[in-house]
Amino acid sequence: MTQNHYRERIKGIYDFIKENLYFNRPDMEIKGERFNSALMFSLLTGLNRGKELIIGEPGLGKTTSAEYVGSLLYRIPMGIIWGSEVSGHPEQTEEKIIGRPDLGKLNKGQEEVVWSNFAQIPVKIVDELNRLPETKQSMILDGVDRGNWEYLNEMIINEEYCLFATANYQDRGTNTIIAPMVDRFDVEVESRHPGPNIAYLVGKFDQKDRVLRNPKAENSLQKILTSKLSYQTKLRQMEEVCDGYGEFLKKKLGVQTVGLRDRKAIRGEIARMELDLDANAFTRMLLAELSFCYKYGQKRSVENCEEGCHFTGYLCHEVRNCASNRLPTSIKTYSQALAWLIGDSEVDVEHVKAVTPFTLAHRVQWKEEYLATKEKDKRDNPFQIHLAKDAVKTVFNRYGEQNEHLKRALAVGYRVFNGEALEPVDGDHPVYFEIKNDLGLEN
Amino acid sequence: MGIIPEEAIKKIWPRIRKKHLFPEIPIPKASEGNESVALEMKNKQITISTAYCDKIAHKMDAEEAVEALLDHGISHYTFCPWDFHTHLRLFAEAKRVIKDRERAKRAAGLFMDVAADTYCVKRKKTPLPEFYKHIDKGKVDEVIASLYQRIWGVDLRAKEDEGVVRRLARIPYLDKKQWDKSIQKFARVIKVLLEVEEEQDRQAGNQTSPMGDHGLDGYTLEEIDQGLRNFANQNVGLKEFKETFEDFKEELKEVGYGMEGGMGRGEGTPLDADLVYYMKLAESYSIPIKKMPMEKRGHLNPHSHCPWEIGRPFQDVDVWTSFGKIMPGITQTWNKIEGSTFGEREAVPNCIIIIDSSGSMTNPRKNLSYAVLGAACASDAYLRNDAEVAVYNFSDAPMGGKALVDFTSERTKIYQVLCKYFGGGTALNLNELDPLLEASERPDIFIITDMKITNLGKVIGYLNNIDNRITAVYIGENTYAMRFREAMEKKRNVSFYNVTKKEDIPKIVLGKIREYFQGNL
Amino acid sequence: MKNPFDDFKDHRTREREIPLDSIIQSRDRVMSSIIKGYEKLLEEEVKELVWLVQYNTVIKAYTLAEKVVKEFDYRAEDVEEFCYELDSTDKIPYLITGPAGIYISALCNYAKEEEIYLKLNDLKTQINLLGYRLPVGKKVIVEGNLGDFTGIGLEGGELVLEGNAKNYTGAGMKSGRIRVTKNIGLHTGEWMMGGEIHVGGRVRGMGKIVDGKVYEDEKLIYPRNYRQSNVYY
Repeated sequence: MTQNHYRERIKGIYDFIKENLYFNRPDMEIKGERFNSALMFSLLTGLNRGKELIIGEPGLGKTTSAEYVGSLLYRIPMGIIWGSEVSGHPEQTEEKIIGRPDLGKLNKGQEEVVWSNFAQIPVKIVDELNRLPETKQSMILDGVDRGNWEYLNEMIINEEYCLFATANYQDRGTNTIIAPMVDRFDVEVESRHPGPNIAYLVGKFDQKDRVLRNPKAENSLQKILTSKLSYQTKLRQMEEVCDGYGEFLKKKLGVQTVGLRDRKAIRGEIARMELDLDANAFTRMLLAELSFCYKYGQKRSVENCEEGCHFTGYLCHEVRNCASNRLPTSIKTYSQALAWLIGDSEVDVEHVKAVTPFTLAHRVQWKEEYLATKEKDKRDNPFQIHLAKDAVKTVFNRYGEQNEHLKRALAVGYRVFNGEALEPVDGDHPVYFEIKNDLGLEN
Repeated sequence: MGIIPEEAIKKIWPRIRKKHLFPEIPIPKASEGNESVALEMKNKQITISTAYCDKIAHKMDAEEAVEALLDHGISHYTFCPWDFHTHLRLFAEAKRVIKDRERAKRAAGLFMDVAADTYCVKRKKTPLPEFYKHIDKGKVDEVIASLYQRIWGVDLRAKEDEGVVRRLARIPYLDKKQWDKSIQKFARVIKVLLEVEEEQDRQAGNQTSPMGDHGLDGYTLEEIDQGLRNFANQNVGLKEFKETFEDFKEELKEVGYGMEGGMGRGEGTPLDADLVYYMKLAESYSIPIKKMPMEKRGHLNPHSHCPWEIGRPFQDVDVWTSFGKIMPGITQTWNKIEGSTFGEREAVPNCIIIIDSSGSMTNPRKNLSYAVLGAACASDAYLRNDAEVAVYNFSDAPMGGKALVDFTSERTKIYQVLCKYFGGGTALNLNELDPLLEASERPDIFIITDMKITNLGKVIGYLNNIDNRITAVYIGENTYAMRFREAMEKKRNVSFYNVTKKEDIPKIVLGKIREYFQGNL
Repeated sequence: MKNPFDDFKDHRTREREIPLDSIIQSRDRVMSSIIKGYEKLLEEEVKELVWLVQYNTVIKAYTLAEKVVKEFDYRAEDVEEFCYELDSTDKIPYLITGPAGIYISALCNYAKEEEIYLKLNDLKTQINLLGYRLPVGKKVIVEGNLGDFTGIGLEGGELVLEGNAKNYTGAGMKSGRIRVTKNIGLHTGEWMMGGEIHVGGRVRGMGKIVDGKVYEDEKLIYPRNYRQSNVYY
C-alpha cells in the first residue's frame, strides 16, 4: 500500500471523528490546513506510540476524544475501550490497574495472574491521572515507558501501545503530577470548549459514541482477554477480531481504518521523514536556550541565575529547570508524524514550530517573576501552552535573524570535530557556546 | 500579462513562505487598489494592488513583480522594523536629527525600506532588484534606487548623486545593533532631499511611495502596547517618551489604542503620554497573583493502598483488595493521610496610597519620579489581585493643594491622580482620610514622601490611632523623618524605609507587598 | 563518538556577497586606523588628560598627527564619521577637544578631496582648533557649531562654517579665508597675519590683529573701524 493510501486513511479517520463524534473548532493551521489540536495530537500519539496528557475543564471531551481515536486507529470496539480505562481516584490499586491473582488457583496455593484489560490492550486511557496517588502514577508511567507489566513474577510485554491521560485543572481533589512523571508525556493538549453553536450540536447528538459499539466483537474480545492463553496467542486472536471490526466500520460507517501491519508500515514511513537543516538547527537552538547556563555549565533547578548575566534575554533566564532528553525525541517524532500526515516530503521548521509548544508546555518550570509578567496576557490557550507558544515564537524570531550564521557554525563544527584546523564560528547565543563545548574548546 | 488573480498568489505563496522561514502572516490578498501604491499592510494582512501590478506587468513578469512585493512586505515583518518598539526607536533617533515630525517619519520609513530590501537581496533569492528597475521614481526614490545600485551591485537605471550615495552606502543597514546610529547618519544625509521632496509634493499634489506608508496599521494593539512598554523601559527619559508618543498620538487613536492598551480598554479617554509612560514602566515590575492556599483538615483519612509487609500492623489492612488473604504480595493496607482542603483565602485588602507632590519632590511630568513609579507599582499589584486602590495626592492640602480618588479599580483614574503635581508646601488634611478608612475594611496604607510635612505631629498622632498596615517610604534622612521614626517605632503595624537611591523605591514597595501577600496565606 | 554535527556536513552558505559588505568592511578598517591614530596622539601628547593650547604643544601635536594620518587611506566621509565617534564613548574613551581638533585638521589637510563637507550639527561637543594649517586649494565646509581657535594658523585654504564659532577664531592665520555664517566670540583674529574673516552675524570681540581683514555682516570692521581687543559691542 502506498504512502498516500495510508495517509488518506488516517485523514479519513480524522475527518470521520471530526464530522461525527468529536465536535470542535480547528485551532491550529499548518501549511494552509486547519486542525483541532487535541484531535490531531491524539491521532499522532496513537500513530507514534506516544503518551499524551489531555487537560481541560470537566465534560469537554478529554476522555471521549482519546476513546474515539483509540477505537478507530486500533480497531478496538468502544465497549472494550471503556472496560479497559483506568479511572483516577486514590483507592485505585495495582490489582485493578495491572492484574490480580487468579483467586481460584490462589486458594489451591498456585500463583497465576489474571491480567487487566488495561495492561493487555494497546490503547491505554487513564482518566484523571492527577487524582491517582503518586505511586500509582509512577507505576502506570513506568509500565508504559517500557511496555512491561509485571505482577507476581509474571510479565507481559506490549509491543504496541499508546497512553492517553486526562487531567482536570488543579482543584481540591487533585494531586500534582510531579515533574519526573509529567516529563514522560510527549505532548500536552487542551480539549477546549467548542463554542455555544457547536456545543449545541454535541447536545443534539448525544448518542453518537454508540456508533462505535459492536457487541459481537466486544464479546469475542472480552473472551480472548479473559482467557488463559499466552499473551502472544491472545494478540493474534485479537487482531483477527479487530480486523473484523475494521470491516464492520468500513461497511457500516464508510471509514477505512488500519490494522497492525498498516500501523507498522506507517511508523516506518514516519521514521524515514528527514528534518531539513532549518528544522534541525532551530531545534538545537531551542534546546540550547533551555539547558544552558553560562555560570554553572548547565541549567539546574536548584541553582539561581546571576544578576546581570549576559544571557538575561534568553529563555535560560526565565526557566528554573533543565530540558530533559525526552524533549528532542518528542519534538522529532511528532514533527515527523505531522509532516507525514500533511503529505510533505520532509520535516521543515514550520512543522517543528507547530509541534514544539505542545511538547514543551508541561515540561518547563517557569520562574515566578516571569509568570507574573505574563499572567495577565491576552491569550487563547491555557497558560502553560500560551507560555510555551510564546517561548517558541521568541526563539524562532532569534533563529530568523541568524539562521545562516548558525548553520554555518554547525557546518564548521562538523569539520572541526573531524579534526580540521578551523576556528569555530562565534556568536552571541548559548548555542554557539555549546558547539564549542562539544568540540572540547574553551569559551 | 494581465491582472494577477488570487490563485497566482496562492501558487507562489508556499514558496515565498518557505523562503522567509514561514512567517506567521495570513495569505496575501489582491484588491483593485490604485496605480501608485503597490502594497499595503494592515494588521499583518498584505494586500497587493492589481491596478499597480497591471501597470508594471508591461515592464516585467507579473509573478515576479508580486514576488518582489511580497518579499519586501515580509522582510518588514521578519527583519526591519520587526516590532513596534524598533519602529519607535528608529523614529526617535531620526527625529534627533530631523526635528520635523513628518520628515522624521518619512526618513525612518525610508531607512526601514532600505534595511528590509537589502536583507532580502543578501539573504534570499529575490526579484526585488528587477522590480526597482521598473518602478516610477520620485527624487528621493531615485536616490534610494541609486543607493541600491551601489550597495547591491546591480544596474537599476538610476541616476546617481555621487556625494549623497557615497555617504549613504557606508551605513551598515544589516547590523541591527547599530541601527540607532545608522539611522542618524541616514537622516543627516537624507534631510535635505526630504525638504525638497516636501516642497515638490506641495506643488504637485501628495505623492506616496509605491511600497506604501509605514503607519501603525501593520501592528496589532498588543504589539503596540508591548512596543510602548519596551520603549519606556529602554531608559529613554520621560521627555523623549512623551515627545515620541505625542508624535504618534493621532495614529494611535486611529488604530483604536486606548489608555490601557487596547480597543475598549479606556477607549474614549484622551491619551496622556505621562500616564502611559508610568503605566508601561510599572508593568515591568510585577509580583505573582496570590494563589489559593491549601490547609490541612486535621484528621487522617484512608488515601491509597500500599503492599502489606510482615511486621506491619493489621488494623489498616483492606480485606477486600486483599481478597481475604493475609500474605505478602497479596495483602494491601491503607495509607492514611491528613486531608487537605482549600482554606479561607483572606481577600487582599484595598490600598490607600498617600503620595507627596510638594515642591521638594520631583515633578513626574517633567522628569521620572521614582516616588510616582513606586506608587504605580503598588497600585498595580493591588489591582491585579482584585483589590481597589484609593489615592491621596497632597502638597499643601489645607490650601487646596491636593487631589483624591476614592477606591476604584480604574487604572487610568488612579494614575491621573498619582501624576498630579502641585509643587507647593507640604501638609496633609487628615480629615480627608477618614472617609477612605471607613469605606473599606482595614486597607493597607502606603505613604511615599520626604517627610518634610509641616503638620507632622498631627499626622503621627493620626497614624498612631489606626491599626492598618502602614508602609512609609521616605526619601533622604532629615529631622522630620527621624521624628516620625521615633514616634512610630513601637507600632508593629508600621514599617519604614529610608531610601537613599530613589531607584530603589519600586523594589521596596513591591517587596513589602510581597510580604503582605505571603503573610496572608 | 558520532559527530553531532553530521547533518550539516554538506551545508554551504547561501548568502550572497554584495558590495555593501566590502564597503562596510573597508569603512570599519579605516575607522579603526583613524581611531588608533588618535589614541596614539593622545598617548604621546596628552599627559594625565591635560592638554593646553600653547604654541609648542599645538605644533608638536600637529606634527605627530600629520605623520599618523599619512599612513592610511581615507575619505572625507570618514573624517565626519570620526567626529561622531569622538562624541560617543563606545569606541573612544576620551574626547579631549584640543588634540581632537588638531587631529581632525590633519585629516582634512591630507584628505584626497579638495572640498570636505562635515555635517556636525548633531555633535554634542564643539571641536576646537579645527582648520589648523588648512593649505591652499583646500576647502572645508562645516555645518554646525565649532569651539575655540577655529581656523587657527590657516595657510591659504578656505574654511566655511555654517553656524557659530567661539573665541580666537582665525588666531595666527597666515592667509586664506574663514567664512562664518552666524556669530563668533572674543579675541577674533588674535595674531592674525593675513587672510580674511567674514562673519554673517556678530563679532563679540577682536584680538590683536597683525594683518588681514575682518568683515561683520559684509562690512569691513578691520582695518577700517579698528577696535581694541576685548571691547564688547
